[in-house]
Amino acid sequence: MDVKLRINEVEVEAQKGEYLLDVARRAGFEIPSLCHHEAVKPIGSCRVCLVEVKAGKKTSLTTSCNYTIEGGEEVTTDSGLIRRMRAINLELLLARAPGSKRVRELAQEYGVSRPRFPPVEDSWLPNCILCELCVRVCEELGHNALSTQGRGDEKKIGLPFNKPAESCVGCGSCYSVCPTGCILMKDTAVDRTIWGQKFDFVRCKQCGAPVITEKHRAFAIENKGLPENYYDLCESCKQADASKRFAAVAWQD
Amino acid sequence: MAAFKNAKQLAAHRKKVVAARPKNRKAIAVCAGTGCKAFGSYKLLEAFKQELKKRKLDKKVELRATGCHGFCERGPLVLFFPEGMLYQRVGVKDVEEIVKQTVMKGKVLTRLLYKNPTTGKRHKKEADIPFYKHQERLVLKNNGQIDPTSIDDYIRIGGYGGLVKALEMGPEKVLKEVKSAKLRGRGGGGFPAGAKWEICKNTEADQRYIICNADEGDPGAFMDRSVLEGNPHSVIEGMIIGAYAIGASEGYVYVRQEYPLAVERLQIALQTARKQGLLGKNILGSGFSFDVHINRGGGAFVCGEESALITSIEGRRGVPRRRPPYPAVEGLWGKPTVINNVETWANVTLIIDRGSKWFASIGTKGSKGTKIFSLVGKVNNTGLVEVPMGMTLRQIVFDIGGGIPGGKKFKAVQTGGPSGGCLPEEKLDVPVDFDTLLREGAMMGSGGMIVMDEDTCMVDVAKYFLRFLKFESCGNCTSCRDGLMRLHELLTDISEGRGTEATIDLVEELAQAVRETSLCALGTTAANPVLSTLRYFRDEYEAHVKKKRCPAGVCKELITFKIDPKACNGCTLCLVRCPQNAVEGEKNKPHKIIQEKCIKCGICKDACNQDAVIVE
Amino acid sequence: MHSGAGLLGRSRIKVHPVGPERFVQVTCLQCVEAACAQVCPTQALVRNPDTGALEVNASRCIGCGLCEAACPFGHMHFDTELRLAVKCDLCGGRPACATFCPHNALEWR
Repeated sequence: MDVKLRINEVEVEAQKGEYLLDVARRAGFEIPSLCHHEAVKPIGSCRVCLVEVKAGKKTSLTTSCNYTIEGGEEVTTDSGLIRRMRAINLELLLARAPGSKRVRELAQEYGVSRPRFPPVEDSWLPNCILCELCVRVCEELGHNALSTQGRGDEKKIGLPFNKPAESCVGCGSCYSVCPTGCILMKDTAVDRTIWGQKFDFVRCKQCGAPVITEKHRAFAIENKGLPENYYDLCESCKQADASKRFAAVAWQD
Repeated sequence: MAAFKNAKQLAAHRKKVVAARPKNRKAIAVCAGTGCKAFGSYKLLEAFKQELKKRKLDKKVELRATGCHGFCERGPLVLFFPEGMLYQRVGVKDVEEIVKQTVMKGKVLTRLLYKNPTTGKRHKKEADIPFYKHQERLVLKNNGQIDPTSIDDYIRIGGYGGLVKALEMGPEKVLKEVKSAKLRGRGGGGFPAGAKWEICKNTEADQRYIICNADEGDPGAFMDRSVLEGNPHSVIEGMIIGAYAIGASEGYVYVRQEYPLAVERLQIALQTARKQGLLGKNILGSGFSFDVHINRGGGAFVCGEESALITSIEGRRGVPRRRPPYPAVEGLWGKPTVINNVETWANVTLIIDRGSKWFASIGTKGSKGTKIFSLVGKVNNTGLVEVPMGMTLRQIVFDIGGGIPGGKKFKAVQTGGPSGGCLPEEKLDVPVDFDTLLREGAMMGSGGMIVMDEDTCMVDVAKYFLRFLKFESCGNCTSCRDGLMRLHELLTDISEGRGTEATIDLVEELAQAVRETSLCALGTTAANPVLSTLRYFRDEYEAHVKKKRCPAGVCKELITFKIDPKACNGCTLCLVRCPQNAVEGEKNKPHKIIQEKCIKCGICKDACNQDAVIVE
Repeated sequence: MHSGAGLLGRSRIKVHPVGPERFVQVTCLQCVEAACAQVCPTQALVRNPDTGALEVNASRCIGCGLCEAACPFGHMHFDTELRLAVKCDLCGGRPACATFCPHNALEWR
């Protein structure tokens, strides 16, 4: 920790270059966010994590997720201006994603329940707030099966060449990280459907329960350096097997 | 012609080319900029070539294709040397007579001279024409004089003399000169160039870059295009000088996709400069090496924003980055980068060649030098004008621009493109200066100046710019992407009669949020057109919401076309021309418009000779 | 105990019968060279220096489920509702299971 700054009049230590949001949360301050995730680089898309930063003589309203700390800043995480600005951005987001529980609840915290704008008619991916978490996570994982297409008010999340992506392994991480739940993923006992593709599950050799998708397993075997048979059994059967092995050792009759 | 190994060789060559063209040598310069090209100036050049050859004059009279002269309203333009006489609106059919009478006999064809609309006088010399007289053409000075594809033409007028001076001064002195000149960026931000260079120079790195921003995305702006098409060497020279000052070995010119001619002229200029040892390795034997690549844009306005531009050169989607860190510290590929506009680089050449003291003597206290404006819209003399900072808007619009055509009343002038604002009549005496324009709610911007008259609806103007910006937004920020989309929706509501006073309040609230919470300058300035029109033309907005009327007669849902029965003489012209058969009436009897059929196209109003069609 | 739900299915310790009247409890072995940590694409599995336990950093977990598939002992779980990996973290140093067991069959050293 090589620099110091003040957040809400409290002195906090940080590493130069760290993101303000991460430092503030680590120090126990609450700042809302939607497009932020620790595992991927911030893009400052949702504009919800706004804070006021005084660096030198200038005070500016800025997003904390992508603000790199220099040291000596005076930060305010809550004020009338901040609340107003978060509220209007949440109002815009709620109008875009009326079906999202998370956005609805966060907007409510800021006094927004009925946006003054009509809902966005997005037939492609309703309730998407273009936070690009799915894109960034998929890129981080190395699959790059998702990207944004276009710009401005016509921007959307899309697939390569508008076809189901060859590189998608059906891991469902995009579905996991999506803050609005707008990505559709359907799991049955035998397969998973996501982004217009069907993926067969690896079936447990003992009981037939789904493990992960075949493609994901193939990717893991290729890249993660574990023996192939690690993925053969489901979690329960692995436990049962393990317990038998321990028992054999524990009770040496 | 071999490469110049040192400044002496360049000077010797300059002497040679100057001598080869005696001062009183006859020459015909035809404007070959994109504007005049569209008017057919290439055909004109060919016609002159043939005619001169036919009369065996092709060796005696030099025919030159030059860059944009600036008086685009009057193209195709032909300039005669040594007299400095200008013929305007020249057609291929005039060529034979011009050569026979003017070139061979020295007779002036008055019909081709510019006629002053107020005095009725015909001006012979270009310099006397009010459009040119009130300008101070420094950057554009040689645009109508030299062939942009000829490096000799550039050398003849003193080109690359600035570079020689820079190499003699040394990098520190060059930087000092640019700082003393108080040159501010001409791309829109107005940031002091010298300060930017200094930050870049002082950032430790193994590599630095120079970038020329030639994306020129503002609708209606074509200053950079004309400089690149008409005098590309002036920009290249400036870049070499800048690179020398800050210690960069590579440079990029990022040209927007829609400027093929500018790219072509730039490529030729780069090639010839390289051949002559003025660019590339060991420039003029100084030991300093610097070369330039051309990058073409992909059709995105947002890539004119410096950080998005840099990201685009890096091969990624043009999405702006958070600043700090600024490009001067961490730019192209993470290295310290100086990125400046085309016009800024051209001014660098002038500053080093003629001195910072000279440059700082022009303009105002806060804004030195000149600025090129593309004067367009409802103005008589549309074209490119270069004026000293501090000249008033009134002088530009009326003295140079020749006022509003058709006897209409001036309403507003929009400066700074989509990031700028509209200033009303009361503000016409505002001097053009970075800081004063900002104070008044407008912006210098890149130099677009759109004149509007009484037939312009300010709500419609704000709506137009919002439509442009929401389409061009990169889409990253909720505030910009959704904010602009919603602002456009609200302004559409207002212009179509669905607005209320609450709508105007919401527009103001939303505009504030767009300005305060967006990441880049596209977003933070996007609200300017709507905020400035609300500031100065609120009554127009209120007419739209309270009275459901469009005072300027533009917003289709709020206007009605009617025929005044007292003025109508029943000539049936409108009836015949109406595309919807919405006019009924008998010959010689007053006609009537069927409102349900009327699509408000305005053809009837244009056709009527009696001024009997009124728009309410 | 962690998710406060009191559901058997959510428990991070399980008991398996291995013979007549013989039961073995299975929970995470906090492997020194853990397969789960090896496959995790975001380094969301971190060793707690005080307890020695491998913990899931929920804010780094992206919910890919690979850890559950990789653990050879079946001790890595994936919460399909929260879309997060969950595992035994030794309750921060005082395992509830050991504390609770009325027969002291579980010992934490």
